[in-house]
Amino acid sequence: MAYAYLFKYIIIGDTGVGKSCLLLQFTDKRFQPVHDLTIGVEFGARMITIDGKQIKLQIWDTAGQESFRSITRSYYRGAAGALLVYDITRRDTFNHLTTWLEDARQHSNSNMVIMLIGNKSDLESRREVKKEEGEAFAREHGLIFMETSAKTASNVEEAFINTAKEIYEKIQEGVFDINNEANGIKIGPQHPTTNSTLTGSQGGQQAGGGCC
Amino acid sequence: MSDSEATAAEGPEVQDASPAEMPDSSSPDNATDVAPTRKARRRPEVAPAAEAEERPKAEEQPPKASSESTVAQGGWGYWGSWGKSILSTATATVATVGQGLTQAIEKAETSLGIPSPTELSAQVEEEEKQQGEAGSETDKAAADGSTAVGGAMGMLSSLTSVVQSTGKTVITGGLDALEFIGKKTMDVIAEGDPGFKKTKGLMIRNSTLSQVLREAKEREELQTAETESSDSEKKVVAHYGMLFDEFQGLSHLEALEILSRESESKVKSVLTTLSGDELVQLREELEDIKDSFSLVEFDDEEVDERKDGDGNEFERELTKALEGLNVSTTADKLSKACKSVNGQISDMTQPGKEEEESEEVEKKTLSVEEVHAAAIRSLAELTARSIELFHKLAEMILFSNGRTEAGVLSQLTVVLCKEISLLSKKFTSCLTTAGSNEKGDVLNPLITGVFLEASNSASYIQDAFQLLMPILEISHIQRRAESTEQ
Repeated sequence: MAYAYLFKYIIIGDTGVGKSCLLLQFTDKRFQPVHDLTIGVEFGARMITIDGKQIKLQIWDTAGQESFRSITRSYYRGAAGALLVYDITRRDTFNHLTTWLEDARQHSNSNMVIMLIGNKSDLESRREVKKEEGEAFAREHGLIFMETSAKTASNVEEAFINTAKEIYEKIQEGVFDINNEANGIKIGPQHPTTNSTLTGSQGGQQAGGGCC
Repeated sequence: MSDSEATAAEGPEVQDASPAEMPDSSSPDNATDVAPTRKARRRPEVAPAAEAEERPKAEEQPPKASSESTVAQGGWGYWGSWGKSILSTATATVATVGQGLTQAIEKAETSLGIPSPTELSAQVEEEEKQQGEAGSETDKAAADGSTAVGGAMGMLSSLTSVVQSTGKTVITGGLDALEFIGKKTMDVIAEGDPGFKKTKGLMIRNSTLSQVLREAKEREELQTAETESSDSEKKVVAHYGMLFDEFQGLSHLEALEILSRESESKVKSVLTTLSGDELVQLREELEDIKDSFSLVEFDDEEVDERKDGDGNEFERELTKALEGLNVSTTADKLSKACKSVNGQISDMTQPGKEEEESEEVEKKTLSVEEVHAAAIRSLAELTARSIELFHKLAEMILFSNGRTEAGVLSQLTVVLCKEISLLSKKFTSCLTTAGSNEKGDVLNPLITGVFLEASNSASYIQDAFQLLMPILEISHIQRRAESTEQ
């Protein structure tokens, strides 16, 4: 299960918007209606393929509760992507987006790709936040936007994968310095060649180039 | 003299010990990479004993020193220098081949030509003669020849035979030696890792345990890929690092390291704002906290094997240690994992006995590889869960800011390490039973592997424990501030 890149993601947003459910749907393809409150941070990982390359997503699912904020902020650093989640049936979770965004921008690297997610799109009848509002917010702040449902799995794959695509493009454009792990990107183990000694020294040269 | 030179210089020493062979240590790229990362691996400040003795030694040694002169110069016994040279050579091997932990050790076993226990004890006697005026250290080393050196031998070449003939005492000795070597192996891997360079300067600590582990895991992945392509018939191969990551052990460790680091820098910045008596007093209070982290003895001598057949005892102790700490969910996960491991072990031991009694047909119960895989998997899972527990504890301490005694945490660490040690012993005894018909060269590396990973597991748990120290410190400072405000 060698991968070409590892991307670190964080999932942030108010408590109860469905962050852990999105993660569970993405990693395990299942939905759990009742979820324990997340304490601090929990983890998930999954392999995806972009442009024929194996990419491992290492996802940090943070606690949404205000009281955990000072701890969870510590985890923002070194993330390549962030899923900023609100609940389309709760206006207040949308109103808090600005605070979340400021927090994220302040505590992570400036190139971090942020995907705005309006979750619970299956609950159309209880909708309080129009899709257009989400789109407008995303446009204004330079985010990608999607509405998802962790329950029906609608757009969940897409949300995680599109974020990764954006990161991948940034790598191709040279925006991300992939040798700097503070960017939340890690190059996978070198692909095996016929001679493992050779592999070792290649790794050495490469890292040497990106050093200091 | 740079460390890389020291490493190279010690090559001949190994040949002295056993002229059989030398691994290819001529990798210029890696050699240059080794030097700056020598001290990269962060070790808790409280356990510098081994390193303090080790490092200056490496630097002192002149090139081409014979083992005798090294010993005379260092003046602290055969075992020390011998262990050092093996490890240095292991460095070269790891650096060159870039293999994972287990592979490195197996490589060491198969290719380093470690002298047999008999050869070695003969050499020890010789050493003794050669340095008649040597200090008490040396005398002790010679006197301990059969235990200290034999224990190390067990790890590197022929543990099983020793185990079979002399039983548990040696296993314990072997485990200590393993712990030492296991830790060194992690250093060695850190040394051989060129990736450490690039994070240099970005972090307060140049490298962290989770990085080291991640690298080790990646090497394993690489190794697996190679094995799969070249040798498809290879059976069950257990990779500790990959499994540890699968159970999210690495992520929890990384997160714990982040919290620890941030707390540490917060503590530092608080200290800079204080002066006079206030500063003195706080320093004293922090010293107390530090002390309770450094005085812990993780002694596994007391482990009684008959106790705790089903993991209930462990659960009881765990619950006791965690009373009032609010991490029951995580602790439950750990208890469950532990119970299931104990269940596996009893499944392995029970049916095996029956079959032996009924008929001596080679009816397979579990192959040694399968037992080994189960052992490695269990160790990886329990360790990952233990690290998760420490991470959750760190979060709860920071979150609730309640008073948490370091003593409780050290007690927890002891309980966890004891359990790891106990399980590794159970698993190796399963291995010995399952492999009673196997040749030593099949069984030995497997047993060695289990002990090695058990000792690594214990190291990771103890390191995670140490990471809690700055967290208790900042929590103490915050509590203090609150009480003065009110």
